[in-house]
Amino acid sequence: MDTLTIAQRRFGSRLLIGTGKFSSPQVMAAAVAASGAEIVTVALRRVDIDNPSDDTLREIDREKLLLLPNTSGARDAAEAVRLARLARAATGIEWVKLEVTPDPYYLLPDPVGTLEAATTLVKEGFVVLPYINADPILARRLEDVGTATVMPLASPIGSNQGMRTRAALEIIIEQSNVPVVVDAGLGLPSHAAEAMEIGADAVLVNTAIATAADPVEMATAFRLAVEAGRRAYLSGPRAPLRRAEASSPLTGFLRDEVTKP
Amino acid sequence: METLKLNGVERQYASGQMPATLAALLADLGVDGSAVVAEVDGAIVPAAGFAETPVAAGQSIELIKFMGGG
Repeated sequence: MDTLTIAQRRFGSRLLIGTGKFSSPQVMAAAVAASGAEIVTVALRRVDIDNPSDDTLREIDREKLLLLPNTSGARDAAEAVRLARLARAATGIEWVKLEVTPDPYYLLPDPVGTLEAATTLVKEGFVVLPYINADPILARRLEDVGTATVMPLASPIGSNQGMRTRAALEIIIEQSNVPVVVDAGLGLPSHAAEAMEIGADAVLVNTAIATAADPVEMATAFRLAVEAGRRAYLSGPRAPLRRAEASSPLTGFLRDEVTKP
Repeated sequence: METLKLNGVERQYASGQMPATLAALLADLGVDGSAVVAEVDGAIVPAAGFAETPVAAGQSIELIKFMGGG
């Protein structure tokens, strides 16, 4: 498969994995390995003082994988900027998946807060990958302030509903000069393949893999689907037609033609 | 008694028993500091600075680490 470039860094995989909701760090690590992902997202939270030994991330091989801290839990721009600065202080990583989600029921991102936080973080030298609704104008505005990608949602986070925003995603993909990573709501490998077939540069998957009965096998399925979708996109698929178009020759039929008088 | 606010919860220490630095505080709590970043009254302190960062009564300290997340 052709490589993906984000902020001058090249990746062989077009599947990003979120590390939440796995039953154990070991299962998470095995699923990440099976997925072939080279970028994994992580969240920042308070240390559990009563259970300080819990360390989900000890299984992540930082030599092979780029840790992409997210700002999940941020309800406004100020909280997101604070989380991004903490993540950078903790790891030295300048990359951040920017999430500003004031609404706890649908976890839809706040476009105004996201643009505000992105502007601040880009000025501070962060490589910003913003999670957004599938809004082509917002995508353009974020690109203008210097984000490294845009990450429009397919449907609400963790909902497994698939490509509900397809029409808007197609416009974003058509217009974007930065990589488009379809994030959130992809519940099946076919959803991921669909995103890649319409020209998304990458997809991010967490819940569909982490909560499957066999996360490692599901991670493999997503890896194959992303590769299939990318290869299909690069192959130049033809548009749908309203009527049939024969695949077999329309001459040499085994019947006598009726000659008209 | 001296009080420290730790991750939003007040903790009491007998006079003279409060850890002197962030590193000592983490050791006291049994927290591996290598994967932790701290905020002391809103100012970020990376792990490399824990040994030199004094802890004083009345401070609000946040101890934060990475977890699994999308």
